[in-house]
Amino acid sequence: MEDKVEESCSQPAWRKVAYGGMQPGYDDNYTDESFLEGMVMNANVVKRDILKVMQDSVSISQYLCIVVLVVCVWTYTLGSTIGEANLLLLDVALLGSGFLVLLLTARRLSLYLLYHYILNISYFICGLYILAPIYNTLTRSISSDSIWALTVSLLILHLFLHDYSGSTIKPPGALNNPTLTSNISLNASIVASVLIASRLPSRLHVFAIVLFSLQVFLFAPLVTYCIKKYSFRLHLCFSFALMLVTLAMVFMLNRMLFAFLLGLLVFVMVLCPYWLIKIQGYKFEINGPWDEAKLCFDIKE
Amino acid sequence: MDERRRHRILMVSDFFYPNFGGVENHIYYLSQCLLKLGHKVVVMTHAYGNRSGVRYMTGGLKVYYIPWKPFLMQNTLPTIYGTLPIIRTILVRERISLVHGHQAFSTLCHEALMHARTMGYKVVFTDHSLYGFADVGSIHMNKVLQFTLADVNQAICVSHTSKENTVLRSGLPPEKVFVIPNAVDTAVFKPAPERLSCHEIIIVVISRLVYRKGADLLVEVIPEVCRLHPNVRFIVGGDGPKRVRLEEMREKHSLQDRVEMLGAVQHAQVRSVLITGHIFLNSSLTEAFCIAILEAASCGLLTVSTRVGGVPEVLPDDMIVLAEPVPSDMVQAIKKAIHILPSIDPQMMHLRMKGLYSWHDVARRTEIVYDRALSCSNENLLQRLPRYLACGAWAGKLFCVVMIINFLLWHLLQVWKPTEDIEEVPDYVFPRHEEDISSD
Repeated sequence: MEDKVEESCSQPAWRKVAYGGMQPGYDDNYTDESFLEGMVMNANVVKRDILKVMQDSVSISQYLCIVVLVVCVWTYTLGSTIGEANLLLLDVALLGSGFLVLLLTARRLSLYLLYHYILNISYFICGLYILAPIYNTLTRSISSDSIWALTVSLLILHLFLHDYSGSTIKPPGALNNPTLTSNISLNASIVASVLIASRLPSRLHVFAIVLFSLQVFLFAPLVTYCIKKYSFRLHLCFSFALMLVTLAMVFMLNRMLFAFLLGLLVFVMVLCPYWLIKIQGYKFEINGPWDEAKLCFDIKE
Repeated sequence: MDERRRHRILMVSDFFYPNFGGVENHIYYLSQCLLKLGHKVVVMTHAYGNRSGVRYMTGGLKVYYIPWKPFLMQNTLPTIYGTLPIIRTILVRERISLVHGHQAFSTLCHEALMHARTMGYKVVFTDHSLYGFADVGSIHMNKVLQFTLADVNQAICVSHTSKENTVLRSGLPPEKVFVIPNAVDTAVFKPAPERLSCHEIIIVVISRLVYRKGADLLVEVIPEVCRLHPNVRFIVGGDGPKRVRLEEMREKHSLQDRVEMLGAVQHAQVRSVLITGHIFLNSSLTEAFCIAILEAASCGLLTVSTRVGGVPEVLPDDMIVLAEPVPSDMVQAIKKAIHILPSIDPQMMHLRMKGLYSWHDVARRTEIVYDRALSCSNENLLQRLPRYLACGAWAGKLFCVVMIINFLLWHLLQVWKPTEDIEEVPDYVFPRHEEDISSD
């Protein structure tokens, strides 16, 4: 059977089928020009525009700045530059402005939703006030260095796993559930704020700083997400303003940190987009009939 | 048969009886038919529970269950060199001339092929499955496959799609890869003696109820078909994590009397389930070949299947209705199948299947591949190393180191336990049982 059969007119054409045994005149290792016909290369690759990628990276640097601002407030509070009264004022101002943004950017005003939010936040504030004395003495037996080290690593974890494309806290009725990583990120930030709060002298201090941190970590992504959805231009302006404020604050705090933050922002907003576009050229994706079919509907578990 | 043409083959795979599936079936039937052709066949697999040591199966098929416990999905722990001594002993004892490994995710197969190449044996590899290129698991698997196939003499795939996939994954030249499909034991899968009435149409599904087999598609398709065709009933055989979803669907649409769930079906009972139906429904999302379709067709059922992987190559167009893996398209395909059902004669279908597929044909075609593999020239380590080196910048060097160490270990073993000290097994000639497998 191994010998080559002479190509002749009467010989039936080779077919790409598995049935019917060995095809007469063709060996089992016969390969015709239809081989790899179904292969598609780089079918799902999106051509990216550097400007678009840079604009999208603003979200990341914006959130980076928010976290840095929180850390600044922590440092000033620990150094007794900001008092309790000022902190509480800051809390109220943040809460007010947050609500204002939510109301202004909402498609339609819903009194019920607003009532729902206010009720939840009042529960939250009461609970926090009751728990403040516990937080106050939580880490008394641990040295400040360890707490700072732990806080910094938790914040890095938080930044690393944060969901930059959306917001972990969603308005009621949102479709997609938050992912595991974004939940871990949120929890890391909460633990970090509790740790910092536990180094403060009085109960009111603790209450004010935890409230402040939680407001930012829980609701800042939601607020910025709403702004971004409302108007991209506003989002850009807001982000750049925030970056300037943050840079100024850090400049006053520490020159080296300032240089580091500036470098980080440039890295995130300029270098990384460039890098992404650069390595796109190496993308090589193969698809074909052997791929597992994707279901075109959602599986409801 | 003259001694020159008589091969002494060692089949290696992690997957063998008492496990059940496409690969296990393939090895068993291929070995039986090769034995009939006068070759010597020995199977090597890992120990299954208490089943450890040497066993004999029908027709004198000798099986080594090597004392190596599986650790994940019936795979042995990959130790790279751990199996060298026992594989060497088996190869020498049985005076093997050719090693045939099966299935890309069998670690035992990869190790055995590596050792066999180190010891200078000719090797053939059969790939039974399809793999993507996107996720981390596939990337790793593809690298391992590239390593094994870098030095394999000939490779076999079960369908043309599978061949394309294997060639892409391993970088093997296409002319080294043969397409030899699976077959079906038509003597076992016979249609029901009497034709079923067409008043009530029964659609049979037999598959593991998992994501890859398209259980989620079934959840969408079954209620829609039941709504459109009041005379259709479903029989679903198989078990798996998605069974709960199917049962939920049955409750939700009140189809308890129209969808029967059998749970896991033993392979011996598959025929008795198949012959109760008119149409066989396969909803797999990926499939290199799909033996289930052959079994159904051999029982005279009309098949409706998703158009994935190698499925379109399996049957002539008038014996199967293909659909895209989309619920609406599958409902359409079932409608078409119900429409053409009166023109299908199960006995005719069975007779056609007899002509299309036979394990003896598979064995004869595999024999040609063995002849080709044995006619390849012998190469020493230095001639083989460049092929490993070409596998990648880092991987290539790593593979070379692995092979060199294996070579040294083999020589160490030669010194420690010389080949002459290993006793050779006398060959027994078993009485033939012609009725075991249908000859056609």
